[in-house]
Amino acid sequence: MWKTIVKKELLENILSYRFPLFGLIAMLLIPLGMYVNQLDYAKRVRDYDEQVRLSTEAASSLSIQEVMAGTVAIKGFRRPALLSVYTRGFEGTLPRYYEFTQEGTKPGESSSSEESILSVQGKFDFVFLVQMVLSLVALLFASDVISGEKEAGTLRAMLSNRLPRDAILTGKVAGGYLALWAPFAAAFLTGLLFLILGGIPVFGGDTPAKILIVFFAASVFLLAYFVLGTMVSASSSKTRTALVAILLVWAFFQLIMPKLGDMLAAIVHPIRTETQVSLEKSLLAGSLGMETAKELGRQYDLIFGSAPKGAADDEASPERKQWDGVKAGIEQGAKERKAQQLGTIDETYRQQKRRQQELAINLSLVSPSAAFARLVADVCGTGELERTKYAEAVQAHARTLDGALFSKVKRTLMIHAGGGTSLGFSAEPVDFKTLPQFTIAPTSLADVFKANWKSLLSLLFWLVAPFAAAYMRFIKYDVR
Amino acid sequence: MTDPKPILKADDLSKRYEDGILALDHLNLEVRPGEVYCLLGANGAGKTTTINLFLNFIPPTTGTCFINGVDVNKDPLEAKKYVAFVSENVMLYGNFTARQNLDFFAKLGGKTALAKNDYYQVMRRVSLQEKAFDQRVKNFSKGMRQKLGISIAIIKDAPAILLDEPTSGLDPKAATEFLEIMAELKNEGKAILMSTHDIFRAKEIGDRVGIMKEGRLVMERTRQELQYEDLVKIYIDYMKSEPLAV
Repeated sequence: MWKTIVKKELLENILSYRFPLFGLIAMLLIPLGMYVNQLDYAKRVRDYDEQVRLSTEAASSLSIQEVMAGTVAIKGFRRPALLSVYTRGFEGTLPRYYEFTQEGTKPGESSSSEESILSVQGKFDFVFLVQMVLSLVALLFASDVISGEKEAGTLRAMLSNRLPRDAILTGKVAGGYLALWAPFAAAFLTGLLFLILGGIPVFGGDTPAKILIVFFAASVFLLAYFVLGTMVSASSSKTRTALVAILLVWAFFQLIMPKLGDMLAAIVHPIRTETQVSLEKSLLAGSLGMETAKELGRQYDLIFGSAPKGAADDEASPERKQWDGVKAGIEQGAKERKAQQLGTIDETYRQQKRRQQELAINLSLVSPSAAFARLVADVCGTGELERTKYAEAVQAHARTLDGALFSKVKRTLMIHAGGGTSLGFSAEPVDFKTLPQFTIAPTSLADVFKANWKSLLSLLFWLVAPFAAAYMRFIKYDVR
Repeated sequence: MTDPKPILKADDLSKRYEDGILALDHLNLEVRPGEVYCLLGANGAGKTTTINLFLNFIPPTTGTCFINGVDVNKDPLEAKKYVAFVSENVMLYGNFTARQNLDFFAKLGGKTALAKNDYYQVMRRVSLQEKAFDQRVKNFSKGMRQKLGISIAIIKDAPAILLDEPTSGLDPKAATEFLEIMAELKNEGKAILMSTHDIFRAKEIGDRVGIMKEGRLVMERTRQELQYEDLVKIYIDYMKSEPLAV
């Protein structure tokens, strides 16, 4: 009996005008989106390869003098994410590289600077199409799933038979969804074929599994919207009413709720801007530097004030030996103090920001759309997880370079009692060819699932809750 | 010889809707195999509510209805095995052909092993034109839809048939054809309960005729009794009479 309902629903959809129309839209947009993004990805990879090559060449010809002069910036590049062909996520806004200097790290430009003005309306990628176009189609497919039968009176004809209502509801949802899913799956596979033909290496490592997850997540997302539409349809006696309600539901879940999270989080947990924090750190570093320079100057004057002439340059003199010990102590203390105080500012800001972000994410996850986008972006290596890993990799590389390169060069600034200043340099030899390469730790699927359990829960909720509501409405519906 | 057991039975059946309207007031009726029972009455008299209660579309406020001895409220799915339903505007899937509609509803009615010819045979029996068998029903006339609706009821082969104003809007030829099919089904032993506004056809086909007013069955006559009475006059008199005391 259930199969009869599924088949009927499928056939009814196939025979209606909307099935070929949707098929055409899906077969046109999804492969086209894949093709365009595959071209874009190939271009970004070419740029990346060229920049890495140039940067490696430049690094191998560096000299310690250039480091001493403070003009050296070692660059660490981020390779474009392979699966950014499915969703751009943060891909356009993440810096393409970071510059590592003795003074710290500095982000390079992002690829967003090269993007078209039209990208302000959202990137034309798979996730955008699923979120903005297919979700609406799913709702429209579901709009008359129950109300259409009520309105046409066919529900009475069906219910006059030995047919449980739950079988009708589940059969109609399954058949209706299948009619939506089949063209979508065909379009997805066609898009995948475009990627393969375009030379995108989709069969390496865990990429096939990730593509499968993207497809599965999109299927679940569309099912959630279909079920949401069924709930509205089961609550309406007229399809026209259901359509209006569905458009409102779509606008709320797609356009309002995901963006509301950021705004509410900013109100509940206001924090300083990154620029303010950076300014505070610069001021603190400057002030600590001045203090150290003054202390070094004072100690220098104290030790060498009454020393014989030339004692400062004579490494064997007792004053010089004393000075070397004092200087090392002051510099080490200053370094630790600076690291501790700047670390405290960074840590406080990170904690505040994490709290705000967590709240924003939790609020936005109330929308199935945000849950889907977040999950897929993380699977594709263009989401929050990648951003965090990139930041961690930058910090780790900065520490490594500090040990392997920048700490080999010491600059000592002193401010003497009379107001005079002096600057001294010292350097150890460095082999620039063996400097460590910048790498970002790969994101495993376990990382993705661990970071996205809330997104998965949200999608599950949006499958179960509207279905339960539709079920309750339909079971209790009085057929008149 | 004792009368056969009723296939359709309403026992003290009442329905009051959530808005307080009493749609059916302590109805008692029985329809036996090979009997056609016609329910007459104005709009809102309770005819459709009676049929809706038999089909478990709505729950009764009090009382019980039985189909083939099965309590509709207690076991609605079992009860529906024994009943077929044809409504005023036969509701079909417009994009399906006549055969596809018949196939779908036959399967819902439990007939899963029918062949194409079985469907054609039933459609021929109700005089649906051959060329319409594989045409989409969205362009069918009301008469053609009604014939297809009867085909669905015939193919289910249930002992009881509920008809909700089936001749409404049919041209005289189609209505006559329809009554001929009803007569055949009656002769096959089906218990038929038909709500209608059509006094003449009720008199023609009904073995018993009941008049409903404000949810109550106010009159019931057998075919024999109606041979000596003017049903039109009785009906009009009841309709003109004072509202019933609650």
